[in-house]
Amino acid sequence: MSYVAVVDDEEQVRKALTRLLLASGLDAESYACGKDFLGAIAKRIPDCVLLDLHMPGMTGLDVLRELRRSRRALPAVVITAHNEPEAREECLAAGAVAYLCKPLDDRILLNTISATLSRASGGHATPGGR
Amino acid sequence: MDVHSASRRLLDLTGRWRAGAVPGPLAQMLLVAVGYYAAARVGFAFTLQPHPISTLWPPNALLLATLLLAPGRAWWWLLAAALPAHLLVELQSGVPKTMVLGWYASNCSEALIGAALVRGFVPGPLRLDSLRKVGLFLLCAVLAAPLLSSFIDAALVHLIGWGESAYWDMVQRRFAANVLAELTVGPLILTWAAFGVARLRAASMARSAETAALFGGLFAVCLVAFDLPQIDAHVAPALFYAPLPFLLWAAVRMGTPGAASAIALLTVTTIWGAVNGLGPFVDGTPADTAREMQLFLIAASVPMLLLAVALEERSRAEREAHEQRLQLTHLSRVAMLGELSGGIAHELNQPLTAILSNAQAAQHFIANKTGSPEMLSEILQDIVLADVRASEVIRRLHSLFRRGETEFRPLDVNALVGEVLDIVHGDLVTRSIEVRRHLGASLPEVSGDRVELQQVLLNLVVNASEAMSAGTAPGHRVLTVCTEAEAGAVKVSVIDSGPGFTAEQRERMFEAFYTTKAQGLGLGLSISRAIMRVHNGHLWGDANPGSGASFHITLPAA
Repeated sequence: MSYVAVVDDEEQVRKALTRLLLASGLDAESYACGKDFLGAIAKRIPDCVLLDLHMPGMTGLDVLRELRRSRRALPAVVITAHNEPEAREECLAAGAVAYLCKPLDDRILLNTISATLSRASGGHATPGGR
Repeated sequence: MDVHSASRRLLDLTGRWRAGAVPGPLAQMLLVAVGYYAAARVGFAFTLQPHPISTLWPPNALLLATLLLAPGRAWWWLLAAALPAHLLVELQSGVPKTMVLGWYASNCSEALIGAALVRGFVPGPLRLDSLRKVGLFLLCAVLAAPLLSSFIDAALVHLIGWGESAYWDMVQRRFAANVLAELTVGPLILTWAAFGVARLRAASMARSAETAALFGGLFAVCLVAFDLPQIDAHVAPALFYAPLPFLLWAAVRMGTPGAASAIALLTVTTIWGAVNGLGPFVDGTPADTAREMQLFLIAASVPMLLLAVALEERSRAEREAHEQRLQLTHLSRVAMLGELSGGIAHELNQPLTAILSNAQAAQHFIANKTGSPEMLSEILQDIVLADVRASEVIRRLHSLFRRGETEFRPLDVNALVGEVLDIVHGDLVTRSIEVRRHLGASLPEVSGDRVELQQVLLNLVVNASEAMSAGTAPGHRVLTVCTEAEAGAVKVSVIDSGPGFTAEQRERMFEAFYTTKAQGLGLGLSISRAIMRVHNGHLWGDANPGSGASFHITLPAA
């Protein structure tokens, strides 16, 4: 079962996204900040991370740069509640595989994760459909 | 024809005369005729026999005021409407028909001269709502029209050969009687027609009681001063001043309709006393009595009318300034919310994401038959929580967007700070600004308008966050908000770690239209300071010793 990490400072959002991933047949774990997430990947590396862009302290962009600096090839889907074209460019340049705006439609989100996991594994890895 | 249809027909004939509506043309003509007749009867009643000219001759003033309210095209038929009333009232007094018609002509000439002169300066119906208009009315309608028409009147009397008075005597007496009438009747009709009736209907109980006390008191004082027999000569001069407090009261509190009504009451009671041999104006000949009384009434009326309109003009200017301040405050608030739109979208998208993802998770659980009722119940509870949060964001925005009067209420400053930081949370997050709160415990409440004080704090927070975004690297952007009690007041400080400001910026930052931002009206701080002034508070800014700026507000404890 693919494992997806959710990093978002908003508890309600974090809980809801984790539930959605679990309901779709994925394993999911959530983190309230980039620092917690980066600390956790030393123990278990997710197959994909859903990364909120705007978080207090360490932003999603900071996490992407940290992942790149530590040479971890971890597919990251950036999610944001505040769409800015420049931020999209910055995130994609920093290594994000996708940039999605909240509120997230489950089909788009799951298809994006599915495509990301598939690319990462070099085969087909689909979350359990509904 | 039954009574109902007959009355409906009458209403149709006289124009649709609803409450507050302008009467139709036929109704206006009827009103003029009835008014003219009644005014002439008053004029006759106010004649000091055997003095042939009335002390107060109101029909001409009534005609003039009517013309000033009517469009120019209606003048001729309004004047025509007075003719039957004029004939009816004058023919009863045994005056030759040619003289009756001559007087009709001179009366109409007064109304026409006055109305044409005023209309030349003020197009459209006249409202006595500015010093300029009252000044024009006094010059044209009160002075020029009676003067010019009195020459015509006296000339006609001489031509027709009626009476034995000298030409100049006639001019003088008619002029004085008509000046007083124009001064008494004109403002009464013009002010009540414009806004007096509407004002009466809208008056509160307290206002109505005040009006009753004022006019009751004035009436009583006038009765004592001008309508008692055998006034002691030593007391008489003092009695002239007795109505003054009531006249001032009317002018100050009731505006021009109040002043005009008080003047009318003073005039009527004074003349009534004199024609009945009562009050202080009974010692001389009828001509002397009339002249003294007219001079007294004119001297009392003109300043009151001018005072009333000057006060009304000033209070209107104050109301307009207040309205403009509210408008500007609102516009500035809306502009600031516009700047915050990205952050606001962020604040709304978060609960919407929680609602949508929770609902879709539940759909998946149900479809997969993996969701327990407890889990679904928990999901629904979270949906409700997220919905409440979204509603709260919208509610706060709605109160900020709405335009309203300043309403003072007891407020908890810490709660106010919390609300403002909630509104701006999305903006602060997207700008990577760390927020530190140092909120004092058990602060006294302050009295203020919630929305306006939120606007002040929002302005300070937005300025701080924009300054930090522009001049401070992410990771070093810290916004600190402190509240503390301070000598009978509550102080709120908004401290940023931005680049601070220069001495020149410090000098000018509270000026309107001064801004250091690329996009900004430069009104935020000046409006915030104006709001603080209305709240008896202070707003000032300091550059921090190291870097950044601090802005402080103090509000007196409630």
